[in-house]
Amino acid sequence: MLKTALKPWFCALLFLFLPAASACQQDASSVPSMAAEFVQLVLSRGGSPSAVSVTFQNQSSLPPDAQEALQNAIFNAFRNANVRLVKAEQAVADVQITFSEDWQGHVWIANIQQGSSSQLVIKKLPRQQRALSSRTPTLTIRKISVWQQDTPILDFYQDNQNLLVLEPGQLSLYSSDSGQWRPRQTLGIPHQHPWPRDVRGRLEVRGGEISAFLPGARCSGKISPPSLDCNASDDPWPLDQGQLVAFFSPRRNFFSGLLAGQSAGASVVPFFSGATWQIGDQRFWLFSGIDGRARLFQNDLTSPAATFNGWGSTLAVVHSTCGSGWHVLTSAPTDTIRPDSIQAVEITGREALPVSAPVDLPGAVEALWTAGNYSQVVNGVMQSQISGKYEAFTLTVICNQ
Amino acid sequence: MKRLLLQLFAISSVMLMAAGAYGSSRPRYGGTVRVLLHDKVMSIDPLSEEDHPAERDRLAALTFETLTEIDAQGRVRPRLASSWHADTAKRVWQFRLRLANFHDGTVLTAADAAASLARSNPGWKYSALDRQTIAIEAPSPVQHMAEILALPKYAIMKRQTDSNGAVVLVGTGGYKLTQWQAGERAQFTANDDYWGGRPFADAIEFQMASSLREQLMDRQLGPYAATELSVDQIRTVEQNNQTVTLSRPTDLLAIVFLQTESGERPGKKPVDQRVREALGLAINRAAISNVLFQRRGTPASGLLPQWLTGYEFMFGGATNLDRAKELRADAAAFVVIRPITLAYDFSDPLAKLVAERIAVDAREAGIVVQPYGESHVNSRAARASINADAVLLRVPLASVDSSTALAARSDDLGLLQASNLAILGATRPEDLFEIERKMLEGFRILPVAHVPQVLWLNNSAHNWQQLANGAWQLDQLWVEGAR
Repeated sequence: MLKTALKPWFCALLFLFLPAASACQQDASSVPSMAAEFVQLVLSRGGSPSAVSVTFQNQSSLPPDAQEALQNAIFNAFRNANVRLVKAEQAVADVQITFSEDWQGHVWIANIQQGSSSQLVIKKLPRQQRALSSRTPTLTIRKISVWQQDTPILDFYQDNQNLLVLEPGQLSLYSSDSGQWRPRQTLGIPHQHPWPRDVRGRLEVRGGEISAFLPGARCSGKISPPSLDCNASDDPWPLDQGQLVAFFSPRRNFFSGLLAGQSAGASVVPFFSGATWQIGDQRFWLFSGIDGRARLFQNDLTSPAATFNGWGSTLAVVHSTCGSGWHVLTSAPTDTIRPDSIQAVEITGREALPVSAPVDLPGAVEALWTAGNYSQVVNGVMQSQISGKYEAFTLTVICNQ
Repeated sequence: MKRLLLQLFAISSVMLMAAGAYGSSRPRYGGTVRVLLHDKVMSIDPLSEEDHPAERDRLAALTFETLTEIDAQGRVRPRLASSWHADTAKRVWQFRLRLANFHDGTVLTAADAAASLARSNPGWKYSALDRQTIAIEAPSPVQHMAEILALPKYAIMKRQTDSNGAVVLVGTGGYKLTQWQAGERAQFTANDDYWGGRPFADAIEFQMASSLREQLMDRQLGPYAATELSVDQIRTVEQNNQTVTLSRPTDLLAIVFLQTESGERPGKKPVDQRVREALGLAINRAAISNVLFQRRGTPASGLLPQWLTGYEFMFGGATNLDRAKELRADAAAFVVIRPITLAYDFSDPLAKLVAERIAVDAREAGIVVQPYGESHVNSRAARASINADAVLLRVPLASVDSSTALAARSDDLGLLQASNLAILGATRPEDLFEIERKMLEGFRILPVAHVPQVLWLNNSAHNWQQLANGAWQLDQLWVEGAR
């Protein structure tokens, strides 16, 4: 009865304060179950007293109403364990419960007094990370998580059947099985020298043929049967669906500025990421230089048409049906040890206008690469500062009309 | 809709303009990072006796690596060890080493790691199971071995002798020590062959025993990327929109009585336990934290801070002058109460202020405390020859893992080895609480305050990470204006 009555407001109150936050959406009983687990510890340490008096103290940042909700859950847990809640003078044991906290989460402390002896129970509960917020936009960036792992992800490719994850030392292949990605094969990427710090990589799959680019190395292979052959190579990397091809510095984390492919022979200042797109007869290139400036080129690559300061160093272009049809997704100018965000920018004339709200991310954006047959998707990689995990995700743009 | 658009533009403008001329996120290579240190570091050997071990460890971490490390969130992570596991009793641990080279080009082997660790802790047995696997066998369970091996004292190094017979320490880290003038200057240069990739900066230079007078007057760091500040210097710098980062209150400021009833120092009479307790009750910790530490510190009642354990509040720590007077009177009925000489670090102006404040508080309870400055109070070896009744120590927080931090603090404070064995075997927070409570019994240690580490950062320095315990993580450090 109490469980049912508590459900709607209980979760709302505790959402920001307890690890039940995400669980509340799925299972409202998680806070009562934590309370029950805590009470079981108290009872087992206290020799299963039949009647207890319980008092509470709050040493944490828990607000009074959330504290009251917790107290009720703990009272309920005692009752469910067939323990009578009585006044101190009638109690077999006095239980003083303190809600405290440390830097990682909540600490529940019970001091169980029985005559002259006392027992202590300390239970630590991790603090739930706050849900990521995405502010109301005029143009919405939609982020879909594809894969998470503890080790670094450089780039990835996915279609209906396959997920390929490029890592510094290997290419991992996964197959779709009832909506889940199941490991299929791991193909090693041998290399003679240590990778540069902030190692980067590019993965391209066309018609089942794999091309992987790492600093000073290139691998070729097939999805089926899985194979990969790697060699030392300074071949240029495809940045933007093959429209932009550039040489990568083998001992560093940036492109040298020397371009190949359709722009062969041209060179720009060294850059971290670049994109190109065409509107009508106008071709645009955008590069995030290693000097912290983003440079826009229009129709030719001899001199920039505009320079933008204060951009993050990772960008990619995405095609949509909104506005001019082309939007640059760019990371924020934050250090890699801090949370990051991605925002859509539209280039109009020589101006860069933000056209979406930033999408907050819990860690640094490691990579953004344009993907999809019509450049309608951006594949991204980030490392969460909270979990430490690397996440592969896709970004698409949705018009807000 | 118009309002929404304005909001959106405002948000976006902030995002795009926040970094001024320089955007950042992807690190850039090159440049020399210059750092000013407050104190003198005489050796970077993590096993050396040093007046300022936290600073020594900061330098040592650039060139020596541990098997594991603790990240900013408090998680244990692989470093030189790529994986590890323990037997069910947690007594025998195996660590698999990654492929790494020492700075002299030789490959790190399990035998090297075993030899290095045997110096760090001779109480454990080490064996190389194969070239890359080391087994560590402790006489009793060690629940948090992986966390403990992240402590600087467990850094892996080779000890070689040069042509002059001097000991040379060779590490595996991202930087090589290329210039060393003890107590004055140190230069570390990027290791191009580092297994984790060459560091971004070409070099990091440390200038020691810096007065900061010039920088504070100019309110600019000039060519320096960073320096340490004391809490009382924060306001001057903050007023000029400079970047100041504070760790959580990490360092423990505590009175440690050098002689106890067990008589560790012959010929020296201990201060009566009741007087020690009375002094603990007389100290106004809130005033020390609020006034002397300008609310940047927190009153200490336990060895570990509340933010780390969540249970420090249970140790009390409130001022109780009436009870202090009672205890003092009780003691006076049995023993002659002599003035307590209290030594503090003479190079730390705040320690002097705290010691003087303690003397004032003690007087309220009828106890005479005589503070005086000493040069080597933080060194355990030097403390043995100090002729004071007690010392005011500032002890860094070695780890953000509670049990590892408590074990290290017990070691730093010279507490009984038995406590350390209990700490290493503790499986529950309540066990650690009980051990800490016992350590504080007898009032040999009187916690006074937890104090943060303060860093003044130049805006050109990026990815300077100050961990929760005040340690610096400079793995991803880079500076602007370099290629």
